[in-house]
Formats: sequence, structure tokens, C-alpha cells
Amino acid sequence: MGQPDAAPAIAGRLRTIGTAAIFLALLWVAGRQTDFSFVDLWTGANDFFGFFLRLNPDWRALSQIWAPLLETLQIAYLGTVFGTLLAAPLIFLASFNTTANAPVMWIARTILTLIRSIPDLLYAAILAPILSIGPLPGVVALTIFTMAVLAKLASETVEAVDPGPLEALRATGAGRNRMIVYSVLPQIGATMTSYILYVFEINVRASTVLGLVGAGGLGQLLVTYLNFFDYEGIAVLIIVIFAVVLLIDAASVYIRTRLL
Amino acid sequence: MADERASGRAASVPPLPDRARRSIVLQYVIVIGILGLAILSLYALDLPSWSRVVRGLENNMLRLLRGFIDPEWGTAPLAITAMTETFFMAVIGTTIGAFLAFPLSFLGAANLVGGTRWAFPGKTLLVAIRTFPEILLAIIFVLAAGPGPTAGIMAMGIHSIGFLGKIFADIIESIDPGPNEAIRAAGGNQLHVFFYSVVPQVLPEFASTTLYRFEINLRAATILGLVGAGGIGLPMIQRIQFRRWDEVSMLLIVIVSVIIVVDAVSSRIRRRLV
Repeated sequence: MGQPDAAPAIAGRLRTIGTAAIFLALLWVAGRQTDFSFVDLWTGANDFFGFFLRLNPDWRALSQIWAPLLETLQIAYLGTVFGTLLAAPLIFLASFNTTANAPVMWIARTILTLIRSIPDLLYAAILAPILSIGPLPGVVALTIFTMAVLAKLASETVEAVDPGPLEALRATGAGRNRMIVYSVLPQIGATMTSYILYVFEINVRASTVLGLVGAGGLGQLLVTYLNFFDYEGIAVLIIVIFAVVLLIDAASVYIRTRLL
Repeated sequence: MADERASGRAASVPPLPDRARRSIVLQYVIVIGILGLAILSLYALDLPSWSRVVRGLENNMLRLLRGFIDPEWGTAPLAITAMTETFFMAVIGTTIGAFLAFPLSFLGAANLVGGTRWAFPGKTLLVAIRTFPEILLAIIFVLAAGPGPTAGIMAMGIHSIGFLGKIFADIIESIDPGPNEAIRAAGGNQLHVFFYSVVPQVLPEFASTTLYRFEINLRAATILGLVGAGGIGLPMIQRIQFRRWDEVSMLLIVIVSVIIVVDAVSSRIRRRLV
């Protein structure tokens, strides 16, 4: 790497070393603060695989699983549908080329950022005592989460549309709503569908564990098994969750690759 | 639904060709089907009565919202300590994930292992790892090794391997093959190609992806405590159980502020990297 001008190369190398030093210092502090050491990495991995080797699924538990499994899928589905419906107006308010005016756009964006900074499981944990234990807090939590994530993803797509058709419609005197329907929607249709499916994947993954905090579905059964130390049941549950998520993911990826 | 060319009936728009009309009918059928299925599953769910929901909202929601205006400041030191631990858990978890994903991603990159067929096992392994929800991994670690931040860190590390490895592999597949060939033409072996062409090309994007995963992991780390795997989730779930909504508000304020600041800093660095 014999570069003719050595000074920038040295500066670059110094920057690399500096970044690495800062990163290592951060890692060291983090290890101190959380009582984590590299030994834990090894013993943890051993414990983990040991756990799996000791798992001994009792397939009789399967009969108990179908009803909560259906509930899990219902929660994910409803969260996705309601979240999408709520996201629809927000998408256009949060995009600079379709919003009403600048303050509305910033308010919409700020609200979306605030909502997205809290994970779905935390929404469910807070909503479970408020809306009573069961699937309802799960549906509401996923609705909120879907709305914020989808609006963020989609508004980036809306902002990237070809401005030509928008200007053409504006030249004919079309209002904002007409512009959205005739020039933005046709351009974002396929991408939007792909995003909705993607969020549905995330929601299925989330809804399998929402029950841990009392928000319905398979997780609630998991809590029961955990309380009774029913490891045979837990093994079956883990395998079922794995299979369901893998299946939904594969189906969704297949549809998405055909769409785009 | 793929193409919402709806309401073609407006007088000023010319009539649509038959094919387009059929696809509009299909779109309506799909949308009605989706909404119909939603209504059906809403009926099938075991939902609480309306009055129960209203009572719950009145008793708890109002207090939670009031807490955002007037939070319990006495909880602030605890919230900040717990959030610091959460932050450091995410740092270590992401680092472990990135270091383990690095070698695995080469096994999943078609241009390094010699074809899509040979990359298939690696890719499948990465997707399979990603399938396990983080919190499920955390439960397994808590059961196997006891509660504490180590369980959360390990769960985050393993879950991140899947995500990072998959994206790392995609990045490697998209590199410019020119430098590889140049090094080989100059007599370099596979190792030279790897260190002087592949690594320099992928490193900035790897770093950017890892930072992005850190943002996700920080969010995830705030809830791992719900199952005893360390971080701010434990004080959170305790206060939720005791309906201490003013303290829950304080914890939420700290979580949201830290996450927003970290996101802003991280996306700034990412923009400079790539």
C-alpha cells in the first residue's frame, strides 16, 4: 500500500487506532458495570446448549397448544390490520411532499419517534393491568407499534416517489387528496404491501411472547409451564414457536420477493 | 392491493381498459377479505367487557398520563442507574453478536463459498438463529444459568448473530469483484484477496449495520428485565405490578430520552460511515 502521500494515511491510521481505543474502553466499562466477563461467554454457551440437550419434549402438551397458537396469530393479524389503518393518514402527514404544512409534519414525526422508542412488549406490559389480562392489551400494543413502524417506513417511500406525476396533477389544479390517490398511491402500492407483510412477520414473532406479560397467546401458556417447571411442555412450546415463526417468515418472504 | 389505482370513476378520467378493471375488482375482493377476516377474529377473541376496559382506563391510564406531567422524581436515580446497565448490556450483546456473525457471514456469502448452493446451509443457519425471539432466549439463559444481566447479554448476542450475519452476507455478496481479480492476477492467494479486497470493502457497511443493530438491541434490552435478564425491565415490571404509575412514568421518561439521544447520535455516525 505504498501511497505517494503518507501524511493522510498516517492520520487515517491514527483515527482507526483512536476509534478502536475508545471502543475497547467502552467495552471494558460495560463489562465492569454489568459483571460480565469472557468466561461468562463460555459457561453461558455451555449452559445454553446443555439446556437444549436436556430438553425432552412431551408431545402430549401439543393438544393444549392449538387454542393459544390461534390466539397468537389472531393478535398478530389484528394488530397488523388496525395498525395499518391508523398509519394510513399519518404516512402522508409525515412526508414532506404530501403533508399539510411544516408544523403538522414535525408534530407527526415527533409523535412517531416517541412511539417507536418504546418496544412492543413494554406497551403490552403496561397495558395488561389497564385493559385486563388477555388478548386485548396484546392487540392494542401491536396496533400502536405497527402504526409507528409502518408510518416511518412508508413515509420514507412516499418521500422518494417520482415528483413528476405529482407536479402534473398539481398543474391540473388537483388538491392534496387527489394528488395522493392518483400519483402517490400507484407508485407506493407494491412497496407498501411488502412493508405490511414485513411488519406482520415482526408481529407474529412478538405475539408468541406477549403472554409473558399477560397479553394473551402462546406466552401465557409459557408462563404456566415455567411456574410448574414443566420443561417437557416448554420444549414443545419452543419447537412450536420456532416452526410457526419460520413458516410465516418463509411465506411472507416468498410473497414479498414476488411483489417487488 | 398491490396497485391502488382506485376510484377510476371520476368524470375527468378516461375509462379504464378491461384488464385494469378486473384488477380493481380483485383488489376490492382482497381488501374486503382482509377486513372480514379481521372482524371474524375480533369476535373469536376472548375480550373483556366494555365497562371493564373503561374502568381500567379511568383507574390507571389517567394516573399514568398524569405521571408524565408530574413524575415521581425520587425514582430518577434508580431509573438512570438501571438504564445505564441496560445501555452497557446492549453494548456487550451487540459486540458479541457482531464478532460471532463476522465469520458466519462468510459461510453465507455466495461469492466467497463458490455459488448459491454452497451458501445455502450458512444462510439457513442465520435465518434459523434469528427466528428465536430474544426474550425466549433470555428465559432459556435465566433457566440455565440464573437471572442477571449476563443472561440478557447472551440472549441479545445470539439473537443478533442471525440478523447481523444475514445482512453481512448480503453486503459481502454486493462487493465489487474487480479488486479480488486484480489481487489474484498479481499472484495473491485467497487470504490476500480476503484481507486486501473483501475486508476493506465491507468494513464501513459492517460497522454501520452493527450500529443499527445496537439501536434495536438497546430497545430490546429495556424489556429483558421483565424475565429477570437484567436492565431496567425489572424495576419497570415491579412498579407496573404494584400500579405505581407515577414511578412507571419516570422510568418511561428515562427510557425514551436515552433511546432518542442514542438513535440520533448513532444515525449521525452511520451517515458518516457509509
